[in-house]
Amino acid sequence: MIRKWARKPILWPAVAATLLLATAIAAHFVYLEWKHREPYFQDDFDRAADSQTRKGGWQAFGGTWQVVHGVMQNIADDRGAKLMNGDTHWHDYMVEADVQLLGETGDAGFVIRSTDEEVGVDSYHGYFAGLRDLDDTLILGRADYGWHEFQAIPVHPGVYKRTWYHLKVIAYECTIAASATTEKGETTIAAVHDPQCIRAGRFGLQSYSTGAVWRRVNLRAATREDLEAMIGNNTPPEPNLPPTIPPITDLSAFQRNIEPIRRELRDHQADLHALPIANLRLLPSNLPSRVTVHGVVTLVSPVLFVQDSTGGVAIPQAEAGKSVQIGDAVEVRGDAELHDFSSVLRSADVRLLWSHTPVPPVSVTAAQASTGAFDAQFIETEGRLVSEQRIGGSSEVLKLDEGNQSFVAIAEFPSMAETFNELKVGSRLRLRGICVTDRAYARNEMPFALLMRSVEDAQMIEPPPWWNTTHVIELILGLLTLSIGIQLTYTSIKRSRLRAVMEERERLAMEMHDTLAQSFAGLGFQLEALSGQVEPDSPMRMQLESTVDMVRSGHAEARRNIAAMRPGNMEQMGLAKALEQAAKTIVQDGPIAIEMSVRGEVKQIPLRIGDTLFRIGQEAIANAVRHAHPRTIQLRLVYGRPSVKLTVRDDGDGFSPQGETAGFGIRGMKRRADGIAAILRIRSSPGHGTSVAVRAMLPWPLLSSWRWQIMRMGRWKRWLHGKA
Amino acid sequence: MIFSRFPRASNRHTQILLLLALSLSAMIGTGCRRGVPTIAVIPRTCGTWLWEAEHTGVERQAAAYGFNVYWNAPMREDDVQGQISILSHSLKSGVQGVIVAPVEALPLRTSVYRAVQDGTPVIVVGTDLGLAPGKKLAYVLNDERTGGQMAARRIGAVLHGHGSVAVLGISNQLTGSAQRARSLEATLAAEFPNIHVIFRSLALPTVSQEQQVAEKLLVEGTHVDAIVSLTEASTRGAFYALIEFDRTRSTPLVGFDQNILAPVRTGEIDSVVILNTYQMGRSAMRLMADQISGNLREQYVIVQPQLVTRETIDSSAVRETLDLNWFM
Repeated sequence: MIRKWARKPILWPAVAATLLLATAIAAHFVYLEWKHREPYFQDDFDRAADSQTRKGGWQAFGGTWQVVHGVMQNIADDRGAKLMNGDTHWHDYMVEADVQLLGETGDAGFVIRSTDEEVGVDSYHGYFAGLRDLDDTLILGRADYGWHEFQAIPVHPGVYKRTWYHLKVIAYECTIAASATTEKGETTIAAVHDPQCIRAGRFGLQSYSTGAVWRRVNLRAATREDLEAMIGNNTPPEPNLPPTIPPITDLSAFQRNIEPIRRELRDHQADLHALPIANLRLLPSNLPSRVTVHGVVTLVSPVLFVQDSTGGVAIPQAEAGKSVQIGDAVEVRGDAELHDFSSVLRSADVRLLWSHTPVPPVSVTAAQASTGAFDAQFIETEGRLVSEQRIGGSSEVLKLDEGNQSFVAIAEFPSMAETFNELKVGSRLRLRGICVTDRAYARNEMPFALLMRSVEDAQMIEPPPWWNTTHVIELILGLLTLSIGIQLTYTSIKRSRLRAVMEERERLAMEMHDTLAQSFAGLGFQLEALSGQVEPDSPMRMQLESTVDMVRSGHAEARRNIAAMRPGNMEQMGLAKALEQAAKTIVQDGPIAIEMSVRGEVKQIPLRIGDTLFRIGQEAIANAVRHAHPRTIQLRLVYGRPSVKLTVRDDGDGFSPQGETAGFGIRGMKRRADGIAAILRIRSSPGHGTSVAVRAMLPWPLLSSWRWQIMRMGRWKRWLHGKA
Repeated sequence: MIFSRFPRASNRHTQILLLLALSLSAMIGTGCRRGVPTIAVIPRTCGTWLWEAEHTGVERQAAAYGFNVYWNAPMREDDVQGQISILSHSLKSGVQGVIVAPVEALPLRTSVYRAVQDGTPVIVVGTDLGLAPGKKLAYVLNDERTGGQMAARRIGAVLHGHGSVAVLGISNQLTGSAQRARSLEATLAAEFPNIHVIFRSLALPTVSQEQQVAEKLLVEGTHVDAIVSLTEASTRGAFYALIEFDRTRSTPLVGFDQNILAPVRTGEIDSVVILNTYQMGRSAMRLMADQISGNLREQYVIVQPQLVTRETIDSSAVRETLDLNWFM
């Protein structure tokens, strides 16, 4: 029934389509379930409290991000550095945090409903709301790989660097709203209704052209009540664009553009007698020298480093070191101390001149860095990762090799971003950091160490080579599993084929039994009846009796053939019983005695091997009955550890075993034996009977199988040398 | 009859299923690849007046041709490697053309050459890479010579043909900036022989460094009657130094590039020569369309700069150049 059903070609596509549809529906429900997960996120950046060095989910796009003392900070002032988190299917939610700008002429805040982020300026699809000190405003706009500013609302009294503001942003349906609250409680609100809004996306932190700090980030699902609590019941305006250059008639807007510039300038008057940093090496080494240098901060922790176009200088225990950031232009006044490859300024006063003036690194090889020529300078170099080590919860140490040089790269603050998770031993890295020859870092074992600003300064440019020990072992195991799988499949297919053959034989045997054998029986019965009506000694009677004998002989042959085609239920009764029964069927209660013996522990024989042994045994018995006129046929079945051996021996006429004269039966036996890699041996001589022995290897154990193969080879060699 | 129905029904169902599968494949295929060309536009950086105006120009012109625009740039204007990475990423993602304004000329040469060799049309904006233009490469350049002449003539007018000038921010990393300086001095020498350039400084990457140069000039150097700053950073740096020493009214500053324009209104900066990046963007996209259609006729398009003074800042020409409505 099933087979019939399966054969109808129309049903398979229908079944496949139904299964496909069911899978699609199930996938859709899973997707909906996943899509409507409740937006929720909270991070107080207190890694020490929960003993975590980093927390998953953050993804950096530019910037230099650090978790320090319960805040997340970006200390680089790239345009549009982003740190993303959350789920792209979040739609209505509210995110809030305290935000602080570290420099002038930039902005910082939240990205919301964002997708497709890349490294670059405004390179995402989403909204941004933040505080901008360039014109003292709360800004709200949309990025679609380009910035579309919706609103710039003045913040009273202004947006000042290093001052906390509480920023809250809501995305509810197509309304985006933001509020900024000063420490004195003054709140500024911006809101727009974007008719063609982006409806879902994740959130992130972004700063533009300045470093910035965030603390106590909270995100939860937003409701209409949340929105109304911020902007009231009024529908906010649709997006428009403020004028690029405010007209002078709009004094407040114009003042917002000019005032921050003047405010910034008040701090920037510098000592015009500052020395180039490289010239510190020319100072007398035996006299204390109080000097002033100008430069850009390249590292803040563990030591402050400042660099100008001539070189770099370390400033340990700087008083103002904690208030400056990477990229700040500073004026440093301190006592110069000469070291082997660079200078150090002790007891230094550091004064901020400018923000966001980062210096690019100098690209050098490890060999060049090892000369000390780039000591205390911001460099970029490459190396192959040898090992990674985390020291406490506060620093990561990478050991690298490049050519004949080895060096270490140290990141003082682990990051929230998961850059280090991607680094694998053996991968090739491009690293940025301050090159130091100080023994405190290089440990006198290596020519230099690299002090990275954060772990984001290590970038993988080439994964580790595929051919390593683990992969080779995995490959071998995989191939082994595959070959075993193929072998099992092959065996299964062969077994199925054999079953099909046996079923077909069974069917043929039944057909023969129902047609040929019964016809013979009927024919014999009719002939005998006819013979009874004819005179006993008449020639016709003799012919009829002769014909009856021929029919009887044909009937007996047909029954033998039917018996030969029906191995019976060999699997149930076992090989020995099946053979004995077959032998008795063949001799048909005649004078030939059948002696069956079994030695060894009877084992389960694979069907293919059992069937082959049965066929060979059956053929040997039939040959003996037909041609040798034996009195006795001995059947011996011996179960050994790795093999099973069947011997059929008769005491009949025997024959002279000449290779060329082997009949169809013997050739068939040999072919069958070869089919299961068995050894067939036939011994006979005229007047001394015949012995047919076949020895087949059982599949397990594997070791014995090898032994068996070796044994076969030995026999083969002996046969070649005429000893078989 | 009965036997013949099954195969036919089977064939029909198979055909329907095949058609469905083909339609699904086609839908997936068309969903993955938009039917219109995508052009990558990579300025030196973005989010600034200078380059957002180019964004407006390319978007408006692209809309006329039905092109998509992939707009992205490094997060700092001195990030050469960042720009090369974005260019490489764009090419790998299969854009049909690239419009790039190189951060520096020489480092970008190899990337642009390879893109052209691979058959990708490239329009270079703002600086000549030294690669010969051809079927797949064309340039849209600012007329630096005219810019230098504009600045020189403005100085001549402000100083009434007599005085001393400092030239800050002479750059040799972009060929256009060098031309700017040469043209300025040549015009001053030819048209205003009584105006002398008595101080020159090379371009520095940051505003603070440029400010320090200007501070030293104003404190220690010989008296100058006017300053010409040839780069964005040197314009801002000089402006800050002039404010610092309260000399914005007594020492006219003629700057370059639209980084800081509000003080032009108040007269604290005399004037700024701005690049018409809006028009450069439009021209670049027009050349790209010509390249894609195989009808490229121009290999160089030279766009005229504009002089923004207190009098011209609200003119329609300047407004168009500073149009940031790229999305409209």
